[in-house]
Amino acid sequence: MGRYIARRLLYMIAVLLVVSIITFGLMHAVPGGPFDKEKPLPEEILANLNAKYNLDAPLWKQYILYMYDVTIPQFSTQEPTSALADDALLIFNVGSVWVRWMNFGPSYASRSRTVNDIFRDQLPVSFQLGVMALLVGLLIGMPLGVLAGLKQNTIFDYFGMGIAIIGVSVPVIVAGPLLIWIFGVALKWLPPTGWGAKPPYLLGFLPETGLTWEFFKYAIMPSVALGTGTSAVIARLTRASLLQTTREDYIRTARSKGLSERVVIGRHALKNSLIPVVTILGPLFAALVTGTFVTELVFGIPGMGKYFVTSITNRDYPVIMGTILLYAIFLVVANLVVDLTYAFLDPRIRFD
Amino acid sequence: MRKLFVTLSLLIALSMVFAACAPQPAAEPETITVVETQIVEVEKVVEVEVEPEAPVGPKIARLGLLGPGDIPTLDPALASDTSSVQIIMETHPGLIRQHEETNAIDPGMAESWDVVNNDDGTATYTFNLRQDVPWVRYDGFEVVQVTDEEGNVRMVNANDFEYGIKRMLDPATASDYAYVSVFALAGSGPFNAGEVETADDVMVKAVDDFTLEITFNDAAVYNIAIAGMWIHSATPQWIIEERGDRWTEPGFHQGYGPYAVKEWVHDSYIVLTENPFWPGTDSIPKPKIQEVYLPFLDAIPAFAEYEAGNLDLAAVPLDDLDRVKADPVLSEELNINPVQCTYYYGFNTLKEHVSDVRVRRALSYAVDRQSLIDNVTKGGQEPAQWFSRPGLFGAPTAEKYPDLGIGYDPEAATAELQSYLDENGLTVADLDLTLMFNTSSGHQKIAEAIQQMWKDVLGVDVKLSNQEWKVYLVTIQEDAPQIWRLGWCSDYAHANNFIKEVFGSGGHEASATNIESEEMDAILAQAAMESDPDKAMELYAQAEQIMIYDIAEIIPIYFYTGVGVTKPYVDRTFGVGGQQYLEKWDITK
Repeated sequence: MGRYIARRLLYMIAVLLVVSIITFGLMHAVPGGPFDKEKPLPEEILANLNAKYNLDAPLWKQYILYMYDVTIPQFSTQEPTSALADDALLIFNVGSVWVRWMNFGPSYASRSRTVNDIFRDQLPVSFQLGVMALLVGLLIGMPLGVLAGLKQNTIFDYFGMGIAIIGVSVPVIVAGPLLIWIFGVALKWLPPTGWGAKPPYLLGFLPETGLTWEFFKYAIMPSVALGTGTSAVIARLTRASLLQTTREDYIRTARSKGLSERVVIGRHALKNSLIPVVTILGPLFAALVTGTFVTELVFGIPGMGKYFVTSITNRDYPVIMGTILLYAIFLVVANLVVDLTYAFLDPRIRFD
Repeated sequence: MRKLFVTLSLLIALSMVFAACAPQPAAEPETITVVETQIVEVEKVVEVEVEPEAPVGPKIARLGLLGPGDIPTLDPALASDTSSVQIIMETHPGLIRQHEETNAIDPGMAESWDVVNNDDGTATYTFNLRQDVPWVRYDGFEVVQVTDEEGNVRMVNANDFEYGIKRMLDPATASDYAYVSVFALAGSGPFNAGEVETADDVMVKAVDDFTLEITFNDAAVYNIAIAGMWIHSATPQWIIEERGDRWTEPGFHQGYGPYAVKEWVHDSYIVLTENPFWPGTDSIPKPKIQEVYLPFLDAIPAFAEYEAGNLDLAAVPLDDLDRVKADPVLSEELNINPVQCTYYYGFNTLKEHVSDVRVRRALSYAVDRQSLIDNVTKGGQEPAQWFSRPGLFGAPTAEKYPDLGIGYDPEAATAELQSYLDENGLTVADLDLTLMFNTSSGHQKIAEAIQQMWKDVLGVDVKLSNQEWKVYLVTIQEDAPQIWRLGWCSDYAHANNFIKEVFGSGGHEASATNIESEEMDAILAQAAMESDPDKAMELYAQAEQIMIYDIAEIIPIYFYTGVGVTKPYVDRTFGVGGQQYLEKWDITK
């Protein structure tokens, strides 16, 4: 098991390296640069901007410099200043030596901020929203799926799958404004937009005020809007998987042994049918917690999702690299965790 | 199941180690104050007629003025977008203040100024600065004055302006808008281009503490407007040297205008609070609203907040406009006001067919601007027959020049085109024309409507094509298609900023149209020096006639308007330049 994890971690580094090279190459290959504007800038001004951000260096050198800043820890005996270049995601001191590690660079669009700032301030918001949406998705999706799977072709099945189809077919861009109009504008029960937490965050990712109503009242609508779509996916998958599992030989064996239906379903069928569900939970988790563009825009939530899109339209190179790498890290780690849970769900799977 | 959740939560915990280990962002304010407004109700029996009771506690305005996404910067030297400039107008007012509605030049940080036209063609402006404006910052509880090492209050002085301008021009600062300075301020070009090491030759000098001398390349009328731009505001050297580009973050930020930055939660909102140390002048009075909350919202959620009663002002999304006009309450709150921008289509005069001026004129004549506004854009825009938006100094107005340029005229359109076709032995079917715009549903709708107009009036089938914004910008600079789209908004309120800077020789879009007119350049050079409004307008009208009719390099389509809703209790003014002067606003409820 330990060796398996070590091997997977090495693969992960290779994957991230490849992702970083492809992203870097693609974003520089696309026409247009960060400083192409509606009011075109004279050459001298462009030269100043390019020099400031090292964009006048050859591409390979820019890449090396970027990866150096991200991966290699910097040691210094002086406390880092508040200058943008001195920023890093991790800054700590051991005695008199200051360590700075993982500097994702400045943002070209926000000139007093770095990508590290965006991670520190915006990622926690997306994380809070993503986890809640995932919970909503699981709490609605799993029971619906199980019910539909067990009572196939009954009113429960049709009802559950009907809900699931609605959930899949109504995207957030429709559900969001609808919810806002009903609960925010007409009934005035919930604030239409905004988020109930702001930096600094408790432990770096929890709202400082705690999980109070002041926090949840902002989170309910976006979590539900985002979660119902997710729940539909989970419900349909759970149902399909459960239907398949209940037709397996070992279920027939369990039944012929005379086990009660509760044990057959609860201990044997349900657990095994979870494998496909858990498989999609990994990527789903990574996608939800790193931010969702439309939900954040519709509900005015200061999360990361926006940066995945605006960084590309702005050609804000460090933000593109940062967001893509962040997502890639979440994805590979989530997939590793998913793979590890297989062993628990299906005893036939071994990792050595 | 339990193990699954354990692993999941482990993952959650692991992934958060990054964030958890990260230090508190250096930029956060040390304390966060929550201002609680207590409204005390007092029952009184009063026999006399009662004036409406004065509101208790501070007046707070909640304005949907800014778009979605974080404000790019609060640094006057770096700002290039309307949101940033909006805040900077309140925190770092310039030397002069252009009146938000009339564009009149009013005193700003300079109380008065003298102009000397030098023999070499340059002009030296001597600004006498106000002596009663201190630097301030928000300390977490209240706005306090900034003091130096010895404890003396730092007053905004000429050195701060000199420093601000020279820092903005410094190539290391890499300011986008430095180019405006470079063409206007004497000696600034070589320094900004990195050709000389020091800023010594830049002709900006603090003569004494409150006298600033700036020399301009030309004795142009718009020098004073350029001097008043945000990029030429004072900036605090001491904090910039200490904090670098982060000096604008909450906790460090220092300003001097009628409002100070109280809170800036990135990507969420910014809160301005009254600066009690602002002396208040005729053109920049003391604020009547104590606190202004400005969230960063997209148009649709902002409008929802307005309807929910959580915002006092918002823009109206195009899809909601018909509903707003029909609604008895909202239609009363609707305001449509001019904005200093022009929407236009340009021609690449090197391309087939549009290389002939008659084709260009025909296409321009065939655009029914009013119909486009009534049926597509719907925001009460004004049909444009020329480029410089009326209201700018020198820009022709429809009242004085009703027939200037090119407007909708189907007969003229067909006549121009027929003449071209006959001469070349072509039919309309032979015309292969493409209109390109940047990908956006709004531009798409306009393009489709105009495509139909061309079809109806001229019988020409024009192909539509679109590209993603940044790709598009490169395309029109390097190899513009036959017909392309752009807009232009004012930096300073003078027609020079439009016609000369964009389409004069070497202008921003000269490489997209590939056509120049020496006659037009000569008129523009003369117009720049003309201080008489009527004479200037006459000269610019001549230049516009050349640009729109004689060489027909663009099709002016419409002049922008701002379409918004404002609650009746907001007593406001309407800024035409894209910024609002919040210190003149009031809440009356």
